[in-house]
Amino acid sequence: MMSLREDQIERYSRHIILQDIGGKGQEKILNSKVLIIGAGGLGAPVALYLAAAGVGTLGIIDGDVVDASNLQRQVIHFTADIGKPKVQSAKEKIEQINPDVKVITYYELFTSENAMRILADYDFVIDGTDNFPVKFLINDACVMAKKPFSHGGILRFDGQTLTHTPGHACYRCVFHSPPPANAVPTCSQAGVLGAIAGMLGTIQAAEALKFITGVGDLLTNRMMIFDAKKMNFRTVKVKKNPKCPVCSETPEITSLIDYEQAVCDLKDRH
Amino acid sequence: MLKFYENSSVLVSEQEQFERDIQIFINGEMNPIQFKAIRVAHGVYEQRERETYMIRIRCAAGGITPMQLRKVALLAEKYGAGEVHFTTRQEVQIHDAKIDQVMDIIRGLNEVELSSRGGGGNTIRNILTSPDSGVDPETTFDVDPYAIELTTRLINEPDSWNLPRKFKIAMSHNSKDSTYSQATCLGYVAEIRNGQKGFKVFCSGGMGARPMVGNELLEWIPDTQVYHVARALKSMFDVHGNRRSKFSSRIKFLWKKLGDDDFKRNFHEYYDQIKDDASLNLVLPVVENKANDTITLPVINESGDAFDTWKSRYVFDQLQPGLKSVKLPLKLGDLLKEDADLLCDFLDHIGENTIRCDRAQNIRLRNIPEKYIGNLYNVITKMKMTLAALPPFIGNMINCTGAQTCKLGICLPRGLSDAICDRLIRTDLKLDEITDFKVNMSGCPNTCGMHHVADLGFFGKIGRKDGEIFPMYNVMAGARTGHAGELQYAERVDEVASKYVPDFVHDFLAVWIDKKDAYKNNYIEFLEKEGKALIKSLCEHYRDVPTYEQNPEVYHDWGRNRKMTLDDMGAAECSAGMFDMIDVDKKEIEAQSEAVKVGLTGNALEESLYNIAFRASRMLLVTRGLDAKTDAQIFEYFQKHFITTGLIETQFTDVTSLAKLGLKAELVKHQETVLALGQAVINLYKNMDDSLRFKTDVKAAEATPSTGPTQKDYRGIACPMNFVKTKLALETLTKGDQLEVLLDNGEPIENVPNSVAQEGHKVLKKEQAADGHWSVLIEKC
Repeated sequence: MMSLREDQIERYSRHIILQDIGGKGQEKILNSKVLIIGAGGLGAPVALYLAAAGVGTLGIIDGDVVDASNLQRQVIHFTADIGKPKVQSAKEKIEQINPDVKVITYYELFTSENAMRILADYDFVIDGTDNFPVKFLINDACVMAKKPFSHGGILRFDGQTLTHTPGHACYRCVFHSPPPANAVPTCSQAGVLGAIAGMLGTIQAAEALKFITGVGDLLTNRMMIFDAKKMNFRTVKVKKNPKCPVCSETPEITSLIDYEQAVCDLKDRH
Repeated sequence: MLKFYENSSVLVSEQEQFERDIQIFINGEMNPIQFKAIRVAHGVYEQRERETYMIRIRCAAGGITPMQLRKVALLAEKYGAGEVHFTTRQEVQIHDAKIDQVMDIIRGLNEVELSSRGGGGNTIRNILTSPDSGVDPETTFDVDPYAIELTTRLINEPDSWNLPRKFKIAMSHNSKDSTYSQATCLGYVAEIRNGQKGFKVFCSGGMGARPMVGNELLEWIPDTQVYHVARALKSMFDVHGNRRSKFSSRIKFLWKKLGDDDFKRNFHEYYDQIKDDASLNLVLPVVENKANDTITLPVINESGDAFDTWKSRYVFDQLQPGLKSVKLPLKLGDLLKEDADLLCDFLDHIGENTIRCDRAQNIRLRNIPEKYIGNLYNVITKMKMTLAALPPFIGNMINCTGAQTCKLGICLPRGLSDAICDRLIRTDLKLDEITDFKVNMSGCPNTCGMHHVADLGFFGKIGRKDGEIFPMYNVMAGARTGHAGELQYAERVDEVASKYVPDFVHDFLAVWIDKKDAYKNNYIEFLEKEGKALIKSLCEHYRDVPTYEQNPEVYHDWGRNRKMTLDDMGAAECSAGMFDMIDVDKKEIEAQSEAVKVGLTGNALEESLYNIAFRASRMLLVTRGLDAKTDAQIFEYFQKHFITTGLIETQFTDVTSLAKLGLKAELVKHQETVLALGQAVINLYKNMDDSLRFKTDVKAAEATPSTGPTQKDYRGIACPMNFVKTKLALETLTKGDQLEVLLDNGEPIENVPNSVAQEGHKVLKKEQAADGHWSVLIEKC
């Protein structure tokens, strides 16, 4: 058992005070490894809170650079970072927040080629992406690698999130397959209230910390949906689909698929 | 004389105590919540209309004799609404009584050996059986004698009266399982194996807002083991049930919490201890299904179409040749006093064993000699308020009383039931083709109207349109019933405004009646192939609700000529118990402490301090089964059971002694100690587990560990870091180890020991040193 240093006891005291966490729970957090896919609207608050919480290793994968239009919601990036790879920008902030955290960056897209290799090193995965093809890829890869993950999606004033752990409903149990490319607006096309990203991302961060410490009830077999215009939160029960194409006992999908992406998502990628 | 249970020998003295409590309450000297816990256990519920009460009367196996029914009707006329109400749990109730008449009713019931004790509260509720057990030609064997004897046995056991929550038992007379043994806490299904009578045993079912289908507890037991199983489950529930939250205290939640294996293993710990004890076998009463030997009644012969129709609908052959059972459908479960008299006048001639209540709120008559069927028909046609002229479908509809009398009701299923009846009987729908079709409705998500086992079920909800609320129902369908062990509850399909439900039911049944032959009467198949889609499309058709201005009718529920309102909704009555009583004292301690801190003076301060000491001393006595008769006894019990046992520190002995002597002015000098006493008791309560035992109980008996305590000096460290460090130090220790920490005076000593105790550890000692700092000895738990 590692023991907490004096400065750590002080830094994490408000965690340690919690009856459910205590010193042992904090040690679990310090020993945990979380992968954040996408350093954008959702990835930013997740990275900030997990870094502050003392997650020992944070992996961040994103193939984009910071754009001026990102700054309205991607709060980990500052004005001076425009043009800088997002993973680099995020790493610099995290190191300032908490030197306990080791940051591993991947300046690339998350694809069927690299998915399994990258996932292998982590305990929990955050889906912070903004398009369906990658969301399904993350789901399939996590199911195959038996990795728990938090799905998150935001659009305009709405957010939804679901936590998958092996044995519980996966994203495909709920949504069978991606909609046709361009059929549904992604938030880069449709707009989103910046604070929504913070609301949903912090829920995802809380789920990650709950998973790591084993506290409470995760959003498994439940999808949380909110409408910030009315400020209505609700959770909808979802079931594991015994005929799910990926997580059933006899899955149809046994290898990863890169679905076609909406054209506009790719046009200004590097 | 036939009796469906024997009252407990202490019933009369319990009633005398109840009478005194009623008087104290009427005098305004008892908190209504405390009174609720007392009266509900006597089957007395407050109705939606304040200070109006109903009395629920136990009818084990749904049985009541004509002589008893006549008396209940008389009491209903004299003190209540004038009719006997038949419930969905095979009992009868008297409604609309005033509190000062309750004892008259209870004493009247004593005269015919009926009782309302256990009509509510956290106890063994009415034990149900199939209403045609023993007379149905398909009876495996008659289960009524078991229900009767089991009731007598259990209501005579003192430990049946303070369970964590209600305990419901049902017994089916064959594998068609008409009592829904998987929808109750403990269900028995008659099954003969190798010539031996016995039962399949199911456990932990229940409907309600969080329904669960019961599990098989024992694959089969010989009939001699009926009591042993109930006894073991009761003991297990008593010890392991959740007493802290009344919302997850039923046996079904205990099964869910423990899981299959742990639950069964736990059950067997109790069961195996007693199962071989033959002295516990039930001694079964003889319940004969026969008519009186001599009946001096002139035979009336009836004939004609109306009589033939009635006979084909409501008269059934019995297992006993020459005898008939007859179903008497009641309008909304109500039997008028004069109707009861007419019926009982006839039944007096036939015999005592002639009446059962069923779950559809109808009466089942039995043991009627065939030649007197005309006489019975003659009586029934004279009765003012029955549904005997209508197809059985109408009387088979089940509804709870809803917002009419129940404090939880959202909608008014009684009004709806009437409206559906009106809507259907003016059509030419062939209702006689769907006699067994079950339309069940509840006014809220609780399941008194049994919507979970309906073919087409409804439960009330609130609809909203432009900021106005209107009554609405969720639509349920697809329950699978009729086979023991294979119960499935109905699923919610859609929702429809209350006003449109009668049209909806009509439209749906029209299609089902039309297609039922094509589906060979397989309703489930119909539902899967097109019925659910039909429900959805009908709901869609009725989805658009006009605004209040366009049509205010939609905002009035059936049977009520005013806009829906929820202003008079209240808390559930039936679960009132220990938890509520503790809560009353806890809230009062908190409120009074707050008042003292704000700065009371003089007499007000003295009274507040006394009140805190009094409530703190009383609050947890109930968890030890202590019932103090006087104020002084409260303080004595508290000192004996809480202070000398070490649960509460000895520093509180003096203030409780002062309070006991009534020296209120003296308490002012010990203001801080009194406040600390209140807090100490509340902390102790927080530290109790769900079964309301103290975590520290176990530790108290153990010897102090031989090694000395670990010592830590946290002086000079401010809150909350001193607690953080104490907590981390405790984490390194093992259970039972001791830790001594040094803390500064002031905030640290006020906060840290309390925080440590809240985490479940035990604070053994607090000592102040000469220089003001404190040494606190903690035991890790």
